[in-house]
Amino acid sequence: MKIFYTLIIMLLSASLVTAQNSPVKPISVNFQQAGTEQFVKDLELKTGYHFYYNSTQFDSLKVTLQLSDKTLNEILNAAFRNTGYHYTIVPAKLWVFLTSDKEIHPLVAAGYFTPKPGQVTINNTAPVTDLTATVNKPAIESTIENKLYEIGIKTNEVKPGNATISGYVKEIKSGDVIAGASIFVANTKTGVVSDKFGYYTLSLPRGRQQLIVRAIGMKDTRRQLMLYTDGELNIELQDQVTRLKEVKISADKVANVRGVELSVNRLDIKNIKQVPQIFGETDVLRVVLTLPGVQSVGEATTGFNVRGGAADQNLILLNDATIYNPAHFFGFFSAFNPDIVKDVELYKNSIPEKFGGRLSSVLEVTDREGNKKSFAGSAGIGLLTSRLNVEGPIIKDKTSFIFGARTSYSDWLLSLLPAEYKHSHASFYDLNLDISHQINKNNNIYITSYLSNDNFRLNSDTTYNYSNQNANIKWKHNFNNKFFGVLTAGYDGYKYDISSIQNPVDGYKLKFNINQTNFKADFTYYLNGNNTIDFGISSIFYQLNPGDEEPYGNGSLVVPDVVPAEHALESAVYLGDKYDMTDDLTISAGMRFSVYNYLGQQTIDNYAPNLPRSPNNVVDSTTYGKGKIINTYSHPEIRISARYNLSDDLSIKAGYNTLAQYIHLLSNTTAISPIDVYKLSDPNIKPQYGDQISLGLYKNAKANTIEASVEVYYKRINNYLDYKSSASLLLNQHIEQDVLNTQGKAYGIEFSLRKTAGKLNGWVNYTYSRTFLRQNDPNAGELINGGAYYPANYDKPNAFNFTGNYRFTHRYSVSLDVTYSTGRPITLPIAKYYAYGSERVFYSDRNAYRIPDYFRSDFSLNIDGNAKVNQRFHNSWSVGVYNLTGRQNAYSTFFQEQGGAINEYQLSIFARPIPFINYNIRF
Amino acid sequence: MTDCKKQIRSSVISAPNNYLVVTGNITPNDTTTISLSRTVNISGQVNSKPEFNASVTIEGSQGGSYPLTATGNGNYISAPLNLSAAQSYRLKITTSDGKQYVSDFVSVKNSPPIDMVNYTLKNSGLQINVSTHDPANKTQYYRWDYNETYIIHSMYYSHYMAVNHDTTAIRPADQQIYECWVTDTASTIVLGSSAKLSQDIISDQAVIAIPFNAEKGFIRYSILVKQYALTADAYNYFTLLKKNTEQLGGIFDAQPSALRGNIHCTSNPAEPVIGYITAGTTTQKRIFIDHNDLPGWAISKPDTACSADTLLYIRITVTKVGPPLISTAAREVYDQIYGGIKIPIDIVGLYPTGGFTGAFPQCVDCTLRGVNKPPAFWK
Repeated sequence: MKIFYTLIIMLLSASLVTAQNSPVKPISVNFQQAGTEQFVKDLELKTGYHFYYNSTQFDSLKVTLQLSDKTLNEILNAAFRNTGYHYTIVPAKLWVFLTSDKEIHPLVAAGYFTPKPGQVTINNTAPVTDLTATVNKPAIESTIENKLYEIGIKTNEVKPGNATISGYVKEIKSGDVIAGASIFVANTKTGVVSDKFGYYTLSLPRGRQQLIVRAIGMKDTRRQLMLYTDGELNIELQDQVTRLKEVKISADKVANVRGVELSVNRLDIKNIKQVPQIFGETDVLRVVLTLPGVQSVGEATTGFNVRGGAADQNLILLNDATIYNPAHFFGFFSAFNPDIVKDVELYKNSIPEKFGGRLSSVLEVTDREGNKKSFAGSAGIGLLTSRLNVEGPIIKDKTSFIFGARTSYSDWLLSLLPAEYKHSHASFYDLNLDISHQINKNNNIYITSYLSNDNFRLNSDTTYNYSNQNANIKWKHNFNNKFFGVLTAGYDGYKYDISSIQNPVDGYKLKFNINQTNFKADFTYYLNGNNTIDFGISSIFYQLNPGDEEPYGNGSLVVPDVVPAEHALESAVYLGDKYDMTDDLTISAGMRFSVYNYLGQQTIDNYAPNLPRSPNNVVDSTTYGKGKIINTYSHPEIRISARYNLSDDLSIKAGYNTLAQYIHLLSNTTAISPIDVYKLSDPNIKPQYGDQISLGLYKNAKANTIEASVEVYYKRINNYLDYKSSASLLLNQHIEQDVLNTQGKAYGIEFSLRKTAGKLNGWVNYTYSRTFLRQNDPNAGELINGGAYYPANYDKPNAFNFTGNYRFTHRYSVSLDVTYSTGRPITLPIAKYYAYGSERVFYSDRNAYRIPDYFRSDFSLNIDGNAKVNQRFHNSWSVGVYNLTGRQNAYSTFFQEQGGAINEYQLSIFARPIPFINYNIRF
Repeated sequence: MTDCKKQIRSSVISAPNNYLVVTGNITPNDTTTISLSRTVNISGQVNSKPEFNASVTIEGSQGGSYPLTATGNGNYISAPLNLSAAQSYRLKITTSDGKQYVSDFVSVKNSPPIDMVNYTLKNSGLQINVSTHDPANKTQYYRWDYNETYIIHSMYYSHYMAVNHDTTAIRPADQQIYECWVTDTASTIVLGSSAKLSQDIISDQAVIAIPFNAEKGFIRYSILVKQYALTADAYNYFTLLKKNTEQLGGIFDAQPSALRGNIHCTSNPAEPVIGYITAGTTTQKRIFIDHNDLPGWAISKPDTACSADTLLYIRITVTKVGPPLISTAAREVYDQIYGGIKIPIDIVGLYPTGGFTGAFPQCVDCTLRGVNKPPAFWK
């Protein structure tokens, strides 16, 4: 060790010249089982370099190598490939240092002197780029930290001014692109974050530059540049194998403070997998529930509410495809395969202009790209599902695929449910197949597809079946390195059917489906170093069959009942600019203009003005022909956010947005259940509009390993649908007669603290928030709670969450997850009476009471098979307990008449500690 | 996870509420009975508080007023009526505190005849079904009410009885307490609709399910099913009432919601009033089911709490074998039979030295649960 640091100091005092500036003429070598001494002597003779090494460390090295016309670098690379040895060349002194385990950093940037143990400078598996050829190559693949990459057309004198570099950030082994990697110019505040294609564009002064590159789960690295003119640089990053110190939940350590977005959370799949999960099944959406401002709809569901929004006000995208029902198995599990997912991003306030159509949030789930270099796969066995995924190149480095499948064998779980669900059956599966293809350096094609299916039968003879189907194709074209565009075309479908043949006379099959065909074009233009402009257009064509009941089985007298299909077109144009006014002030401002057309064929009832929409107030009805525009809604949507750096690690951000939602979920339950129906806005049902203002303060501490933030928000919602007391939602041809438009308001404050590095890492969040609705239009036929504000079903003022992981060794880690929230509001009986042979109850005002508070803690122990990087199979175990304290959390409380008496009951879903075990294998 | 659903007692529900509850059906061709009561606290011991001293009248939309008179227990009954189906009717109530209540005018909707009441025997037990139809396709919404009557037998047949607390006599046949007829009223709301069908047919609508081997099927069982025709609005009310009190709690079940009937307080429009008044004739049908019709059904269920003890006039018990001999004398017949603690079953030994076998009343006396004479309709 001592000698290592002595060497470093010696080198510091030496005048450093990079290897590339003093060419070594190519030589030829031929070794057969050569010992170190023979190997070194031969090279010293041929190159004139002097080699320094510790002979005891190198006594086991045997070199067999035959190469001709290669540089010293290439020979040493070849000799030390897949060994623990490293080399460092100091051309100015004609020195070569050979080391074992530790390597020497000959290049030290000014002010950068923190060699980290365990940091491998030169990757043993990665070939050194042939630098003489780089100028002519389309894009430089940069893998090495200490190499000086020359970009652009080389000139003797570097011109003053800025140049632009762009390229992809990729994972070195699989070639998969890395979204959210931050690329910063050392010692300045200039930096960018790679987009979801892993693409970045950065404008920086010409000349010698150092880039600092960071990404979740990847080793921090840097790149030395000599920037002459505009050019391209792909950056390959190495997986952080041990993850001992690098568990982060934010994309990049400084993004918390420096990014302009506020209320945006990104989760990497590695973080998601560390959170203890029920039955050991990694569940993407359940981890989203631990984020500040996100609340669970209930224990048995992955439905969630963001900042006082309803469950249907979240736009859930899987690779840009809209997923209408993101849940399996009554909602116990989310429908995303954790082996395929790369990361998840949740936008709560700064919703980019390119997204629209939902009021509360956008949840973007992105799949990995298939490994472009070699075949790989993984398989898992859990208590409920088996998983398999395979990926690999179709054309090496150009085309790859990734395929994932999950299937359940969860019938046994149903036997644990309350007795009324005992004779039930449930099964599900989901499939993902994604293909990415690089046509050339400016054109990429991405094809993604998804299919999920659930089939279950609750105790009765009623069978439920539902399915998501999604496919889309994307073409990304780089016009130049400052301008690129993505064209996307896709199809998203969701359908379910319910059938029963319990009584032959009324055997039925009820079908629902919604299909959307969408097209969009998104463009990004890096105008200059200070302005990034996004613009685009999009269009969605909806086809919705709200319900279709048909006789099922012989002898059924059921009359086919078809609610007429609905059609609509939702289009938008948008333009946004991210403008860095100064190093400290960045403003992102944009406008989205959405237009909605409700289309025929359709018959619309016209109601008498200012009277409740009831059957006897229908004046007449109008029938519109196919494709005819029945009515049009449009809405300008504003998206503004700004960030001001108060200091290097303290910033303040503010944002305002307005949103419109043209599609409504009709649900009598609080969760998204498989029998809910969607409804398109029409002349009688207005779109939902909302706006939100928020303000946040962000602080990083301890070298960016601690991130703290406080955010406040206030939100207004218009035309949210609530239901009249005896609303019937299924097969309702006149749904406008059973719904009420409400106004909503929501506000809250969110505190978040994260520790992103160290043996102990994790996050703690506390949120105080309220959500109210009001129906005060006396003409609507029914005032809820006399027209006063009442708490929404998902109003839970206090929410606390702790998620922590402690890693003892490379192989063993433990995770703990603690959740607390106020119980949700409920309408309770306030009096009882005797009528119709039984005691009966009279209910209170809507949502006047609450169920008991929710508390749960989960624990898991994760064991990795072993920590060797290069082995055929990697296996891992996860064992743990869900609901450690066994608290009987109430899902709901209710009153039931039994034998003529009314008793109060509480329904809990997972009322006991539930142990689990899960086994995974990766190959 | 058997503890998924558990009974709890919350303290939040203690608000004192006292709302008027009105039930009943205006019967155009018969007497009409309306019941008035008040809601009670949800955690209270009593489940109902009858409303006395109210004045109740039926009013026709085109005139006519028909008063109801109190018969006690919160019930108010009219004279036999002969109301026209062409009019609609409403209820007008003035309570003793001077508050006025009035129902909406309801149209008369008469029930079609019941086609059939039958039963199906399933593994889980006996299910009683009703079938009906309306050739005019106009009824569509139905509600059923029922009365069940069945024979029960006591554990022991009592041949003797205590008389005047000082003697016994052979029990006369008309005072037998071995066989009784028990009558239960419906405790659930049964609804059916043919609105979705192309014809107004109700086929095998389940009315009640009796668990296998239940006492009702030991000897002979009868059920009277009474059918009401409802308007769509009334059907919605009863559906919601049933939902709120009989069906809640499933994972996907709807949340409860406020229930508004068709009765309003005119003195204080903000005061909730509970109940829905309907109008129309009813139809009914009775069937009998014998134990022989129920293969495999148990014939009795011995009550393990029952035993027949020997009770002597004088029971001498030697507690110490002499000398000196110590003994006690118990007068079991005097104490237990004359005292009414136990009922004699049969004679033991020779009169007067012997005594009786006897058992507690619940093991011998079926009149504690029913009546020992068959009802008039019984056959």
